[in-house]
Amino acid sequence: MSSSVKRVYGYLAEFESASALYKAAEKVRDAGFRKWDCYTPYPVHGLDDAMGIKRSILPYFVFFGGLTGLTTAFILSYVTQVGIYPTVVQGKPANIFTVPAFFPIMFELTVLFSGFTTLFGFLGLTQLPRWNHPIFASRQIHRATDDGYFIEIEARDPKFSAEGTRGFLDEIGGGNIELVEDDGT
Amino acid sequence: MAHHLVTSADIPEEGERLDAGRLKKIRTICLAVAVGGGLLSAPALFGLFGQGVQGSFSFSWLYGFFFFATLAMGGCFWTLLHNVSNSGWGVSVRRVMENVGFVFPWMFIPMLPLLLPEVQKFLFEWMPKHREAAEYAARYGESAKYGLHHGPKTDHLLYVKYWYLNLDFWYVRMVAYFPLLGFTIYFLRKLSVDQDSDPNPGTSRLKRARWHSCWGVPVFAVVLTFLAIDVVKTLDYKWFSTMWGVYVFAGSALNAMAVIILITIALRRMGYLKNVVGPEHDHLMGKLVFAFTVFWAYISFDQYFLYWYANITEETRYFILRNTAGWNYVSVVLVFGHFVAPFLLLIRQDLKRRNGYMIVIACYLLFMHMIDLYHMIMPERGPSVTKVLHPGNPDSWSLWLNMSGVGDVVAFMTVGCFFVYILLRNLGSAALYPHRDPRILESANVHN
Repeated sequence: MSSSVKRVYGYLAEFESASALYKAAEKVRDAGFRKWDCYTPYPVHGLDDAMGIKRSILPYFVFFGGLTGLTTAFILSYVTQVGIYPTVVQGKPANIFTVPAFFPIMFELTVLFSGFTTLFGFLGLTQLPRWNHPIFASRQIHRATDDGYFIEIEARDPKFSAEGTRGFLDEIGGGNIELVEDDGT
Repeated sequence: MAHHLVTSADIPEEGERLDAGRLKKIRTICLAVAVGGGLLSAPALFGLFGQGVQGSFSFSWLYGFFFFATLAMGGCFWTLLHNVSNSGWGVSVRRVMENVGFVFPWMFIPMLPLLLPEVQKFLFEWMPKHREAAEYAARYGESAKYGLHHGPKTDHLLYVKYWYLNLDFWYVRMVAYFPLLGFTIYFLRKLSVDQDSDPNPGTSRLKRARWHSCWGVPVFAVVLTFLAIDVVKTLDYKWFSTMWGVYVFAGSALNAMAVIILITIALRRMGYLKNVVGPEHDHLMGKLVFAFTVFWAYISFDQYFLYWYANITEETRYFILRNTAGWNYVSVVLVFGHFVAPFLLLIRQDLKRRNGYMIVIACYLLFMHMIDLYHMIMPERGPSVTKVLHPGNPDSWSLWLNMSGVGDVVAFMTVGCFFVYILLRNLGSAALYPHRDPRILESANVHN
């Protein structure tokens, strides 16, 4: 395998603490970067606001997923229990007023479809699962699971420039600045 | 919310107090309506306007009393829950919860008419039966239980239920509920209010409130469940439900939170609480309302569904009556109006943070709670009252009573104005939020 051609993935910079990272994230956000991310050993409260992350559109998918489940369950129960093979129990009517008997099914399918939409919508939006991620080419990123707080700015961001971004990360207090190159392995 | 961090410099040292002058007018009007309504209601309840009015108005009064009692008990619930779960988010609205809950001991006064045998005759069918049985049994020197078994009108169901459903125990319970839960909420509110003037507040009261709320929760559960059973479920003593307490609790907690939301918004519009309550709190309280809308639907549907399935006479009678004639529409309105509509209206995150929107939703929910309780109590009215007025003449028995709505409005307004008067009094008698609570800043800066 030739490894002579490497693609620049982006810059990775380390910060001393969660609060330093938080303040730096606000600056990256205000500088107008879009394709960038933070890596921390534990969830930092309020970091999504500091990063300027918008609310996910996943809830809308889930709502309509749930609605589909509700309708599916109703049609399924109605067609089978009333239309095709009316089930008469204790002289109760087999018509639209049988609907209370369908409620548990309608509830369950609403939950099931919402759950599936949540899971698969989430996987789709985050493009998971995947075999590898370019950031793993970094020599220090494993410390994000231990004691490192990192900000990474991707090269595909329109504001990215080889010198400018490095200088910017240095300016907002980043140390151990590393150019992460995706070597395709 | 803009990232302005609230610090102790934003919290006034002596706290915020309601300016009594600004609400004097509303308080005076409420007191006047409560007193005027009381003067109008008393002769109606004592039967001076005739038996028909007395019977009809007894139900109206029970309805008015029970509606506002559920709100007050819901206030107790939220206070207890906040303490027992060691919550930090709601410290800045906790005083409002305490003030809503602290109306409960005062609800003893509108409860008093229910103790009159003349009123009970119409409301609780089992009571006249017990009294007749007691009269019969007295001849043999026995208790009412003997009369229910051997008397001219034996009733085996009342006989086996006698250990719980007897007059003495009923009176003891009715009188005991108010001091029990009343003391609990009084004590918790006192702990909280005392802290406001303590120069060295510390965390001891916080821990004591948590500790004492642990026994307060069972007290609350017992009081709400058995009060609901004793004054509403026993309107039909032949009916069985194991869901009843939870059902009443679901509506009560939901609507108490609606009241708390309305008060916090109103106070902020008047210029109070601004530093400590913000959209984050609106959002959190909106989520609780949303959750309890679903919980109410879950519980009320459970109750309906299991009876519908099993189809046992003594269980289904409640719903048969409520699916008869016009009451069926009310049942359907509850399904869509009390669950489907608020569920869809409250599902969006951003709307829960809008005050104008939440005012409409909270008022709407309270209106639905009115319909819910009407649906619990009033279908019994026509049959019960006409049976008492025309015994042995089934042709005169009826589902409806003419003009009974007028009494409903009078009773509701009377008890309602009494409730609002006491609530405003509570709000004015202490600081509007616990400004020396160790977690007030945590609450003011809450983020979700």
